[in-house]
Amino acid sequence: MDSLRVCAGVALSVTVLCSSERSDLSAREDATGSLSGRVHVVAHPARRLATAGVYPGRVVGIQADRDSSELDNVIVFINSSMRVDSAPQRLSIRQTNEEFVPHVVAVTTGSTVEFPNDDLIFHNVFSLSRAATFDLGRYPRNSSKARTFTKPGVVKVFCHLHSHMSAIVRVFSHPYFAFPDRNGRFTIPDVPAGRVEVTAWHERAGEVTHMATIDDGGTAELRFSLPLTDPE
Amino acid sequence: MSAINTARSPRLLVKVLCFAFAVIACVIVAVFVLFSWQTNARVTRNVVENMEASQLRFAGLDARLRREHTLQAMALAENPTLKAAVDTYYSERGNQHELGQLRSTIETELTKLQQIMDVPSLSVTDVRGIVLASAGPNKGDWPPGARMTLRVEEDGAPVEAVVMRNDHAYAATAVPLVLGRDVVGEFFLASPLDDAYAANLAAEARAEIAILLDGRVIATSTSATLRRALDSVALPLSGTIVLGGDEFVVQRLSSIDSASLYALGSVTEAARTASADSGLVLVLAGAGALLIAVGGSWWLAQTVARPIDRLSNSLAQMAKARDFDQPLPSSGGSRELDTLTATFNELRTAVALAEAESEAAYLGVIGALATALDARDPYTAGHSQRVADLSVSIGRQIQLSEADLETLRLGALLHDIGKIGVSDAVLRKPTKLTPDEFEQIKLHPTLGARILKPLRFLDAQLAIVELHHERPDGQGYPHGLKGDEIPMFARIVHVADAFDAMTSARAYRAAMPVATAIGELWRLIGVDFDAQVVQAMAALPVALTEAGSSEEPVAERLSTRSLVPFPSRATIVAGQHGQFALRRAE
Repeated sequence: MDSLRVCAGVALSVTVLCSSERSDLSAREDATGSLSGRVHVVAHPARRLATAGVYPGRVVGIQADRDSSELDNVIVFINSSMRVDSAPQRLSIRQTNEEFVPHVVAVTTGSTVEFPNDDLIFHNVFSLSRAATFDLGRYPRNSSKARTFTKPGVVKVFCHLHSHMSAIVRVFSHPYFAFPDRNGRFTIPDVPAGRVEVTAWHERAGEVTHMATIDDGGTAELRFSLPLTDPE
Repeated sequence: MSAINTARSPRLLVKVLCFAFAVIACVIVAVFVLFSWQTNARVTRNVVENMEASQLRFAGLDARLRREHTLQAMALAENPTLKAAVDTYYSERGNQHELGQLRSTIETELTKLQQIMDVPSLSVTDVRGIVLASAGPNKGDWPPGARMTLRVEEDGAPVEAVVMRNDHAYAATAVPLVLGRDVVGEFFLASPLDDAYAANLAAEARAEIAILLDGRVIATSTSATLRRALDSVALPLSGTIVLGGDEFVVQRLSSIDSASLYALGSVTEAARTASADSGLVLVLAGAGALLIAVGGSWWLAQTVARPIDRLSNSLAQMAKARDFDQPLPSSGGSRELDTLTATFNELRTAVALAEAESEAAYLGVIGALATALDARDPYTAGHSQRVADLSVSIGRQIQLSEADLETLRLGALLHDIGKIGVSDAVLRKPTKLTPDEFEQIKLHPTLGARILKPLRFLDAQLAIVELHHERPDGQGYPHGLKGDEIPMFARIVHVADAFDAMTSARAYRAAMPVATAIGELWRLIGVDFDAQVVQAMAALPVALTEAGSSEEPVAERLSTRSLVPFPSRATIVAGQHGQFALRRAE
C-alpha cells in the first residue's frame, strides 16, 4: 500500500467484531436497522511525524494531543455506490490559525461546503481531486466561498498560500456514514437491512472493510481497531 | 720607467677591478644559490599556507553552500501545488488517468521551479522513494518509477549525500514534503559533481580542485594528464605529493559522504614564478653592485695609482735630465708614498753628499797636482791659485752666479794642468824659447783637456782648460777661435792668466807694475783680450789684484800712485807693448 510509510506513523489498531451474523441479504426495501460500534485508535510510539522542517513554527502550531483526536479523521461508512437521495447539507470548514477545521468532513452529493476565512491573512482553497477539481481563489478575513459537491469520492482540499494546510471532503452518494465520537463510538441509523460492507477509513491509515448484516429494526455491532497491517 | 712596467704586468687599476669583480661575482653567486634554495622552501610554505587558508575559507563557504542548498530544497519543498499534487496522488490511486494528470502537474511544477531557481536537478518521490517526476538537465538520471536510494531521515530531517546515477556523481539533498505533520513525499535537489563544478571551485579556492569518490577521481579542474596521475596515487589528507613530475601541496577541503574534495597547489609552478621574480631582483642588485664596485675600484685605483704615476714620472724626468739636485716633490697620495719619497730624497742627499765628498777628494788631488805643477818653477809658484782668485773676482764683477763662479774657480785652478806633459827643460828655460819649444808649450791646453776629460764632473771646466789661450783676433791656440766663439769663462781666465804672468817676476825679467799690466790689457783689447773682461777687471779694487788693503779701484790707485791720470788705451799701448809681447812668449 502506498501509504504504508505514513501508516507506520499513524498507528490505528483495528479489530473487527461482528456481533450480528443473522441477516437477510434480500431484505425489504423499507426494512432498516442500525449499525453501531467502536473504533479503537492506538497511538503508535514509532509514529512518523515531520518534526524537522524549514518552517517549524507552523508544525509546532498543531495541538500536541492530536493523537487522540485522530478519531475525528476516521469515517465509518457503508461501502456502496447505491444512490440514496437525502436533503443536501450545508457544512463549513473554517480556516482558523492556518488550519482547515475540521480536517475531515463527509457530505452527501449535492451538499455544499463553505470555507469561511477566520484568519487575518488571505487564504485560498483548491483541489486537484477527480471528484471535484476547483480553485476558489484567494480571499480575506470574514469572507467565505462555497463549493457544492456533486460527485462521490475523496476531495483533498489545499491552500495555495499555506502549503501545510489541507482538508478532506468525503462525498457519498448515500447518507450512511458516521464519525466516531471521542470514545470511538459510532452509530449509523436507518441503514437498509441486508448484508453490507462496512469500511473504516482514515486518510493515511487507509481503509478497512468488513461485512455486516443489518436486520430490520436490529442493530449490528462492529468493533474496529486500527491500524491495519499492510495487505501487500 | 712606468711604460716598461705597464708592458710587463697589469696596471694597478686592472688588478683592483679584477679583484673587486671577482669578490662581487662570488658574493652574487653565493647569494643566488642561497636564494634559490630558500625560494623553494619559502614557496612550499606559501603554497601550504595558501592551501590552509583556502581550506578555512572553503570550509566556511562549503558549510554555507550546503546549508543554502538544504534551505533551498526545503523552501522549494514548501510549494503548495507540489504538496497538493503528491497528496492527492494517494487518494487517486487506482485511477491511472488521474495519476498521469497528477504526475504531469508535478513535473510541470518542478520544471517551473527548476527554471526559476536555476537549480541543477529536481525530483519528487512518493513516500517509498519511487520517483514521481524529475526536472532539470539531468532528469534523465531520475526517470519516473526509478527508486531513489537517498532517503530522508525517519524524523523527516534532511539528508545530504553523494549519489551515483548512471556513472554521474551528484551532491544530492533530500528533504521531506510535509503536509501538516505528515510526510507525504520527498523532494530532491541534486548538483552534478562534474568538471565544470570543480573548475568553479578552483576559481574560488585559487588552486586546482579534484573530487574523489571512494578514492576514485570523479571530477577535476586539472588537465587530463594530471587527472590520470591523480588516479594512480592515494591522496593524503594534507601534505605534498609529486604528480607528473611537479610537486603539489594537497589539502582536503571537505568531504560529503564518501566523496572528498581536494585542493592541489603546484609548488613547482609557484616556485617558477617566484624564482623568475627573485632572479630579476638579483640580476638588478648584481648589476648595481657591480657598477658600484667598478666605480669604487676605479676611484681606489686612481687614488693609489695616480700619485705612484706622478712619483715615477718625476723619477723618470730626473733620470732623463740626470738632475738629482732637486728633491722629489711629495706626491701627496698617501703616507706610504710620502715615506717612500722622503726616503728617496734622503738617499739622494746621501748620494749627493758622497758624490760631493768624492768630488772634493778629486779636486783636492787635482788642486794638489796644480800646486805641485806650479811649484815645478819657482817663478810660477801660486800662479794657478792667483789666477783662480782673480778670475772669480772678475766673474763676480760681471755678476756671474755663484754656481758659475765655482765652475770658473775650478777651471781657473786647473787651467794649466796640461803643463804636466811639458818637459822641465822647456818650462823652466830661463831664456827665450825656440819656435819648437813654443810649439810644445802650445800643446798644454789640449793636453789638459785630455787629462780632465774622463772626469765627468769637470765637464764644465773642460772648455776653460782647453780654450784659455784663444784670442779675440783668432791668433790664439789651439783652435784659433774668434771673439764670441770663445766661451766667457775661457776669456776671463785668459785675462787673469796674462795679468798674473805680467805682474810676476821671471828669470829673465822683473815683475811688471800693476798699472803697466793694466795698461797692457787695455792696449790689447779686441786683439788679445776681451773688452768686457778687461773693463771688469779694471773696476776691481786693488786688493784683489795685488797684496794690499786698499779699497780703491785699480785704476784710481794707478792714477794716485803714478800721478798720471787713468791711463788711456793709447798711452798704454804706446808704453807697454814690447814688454807684454815678450812675456806672452812664455
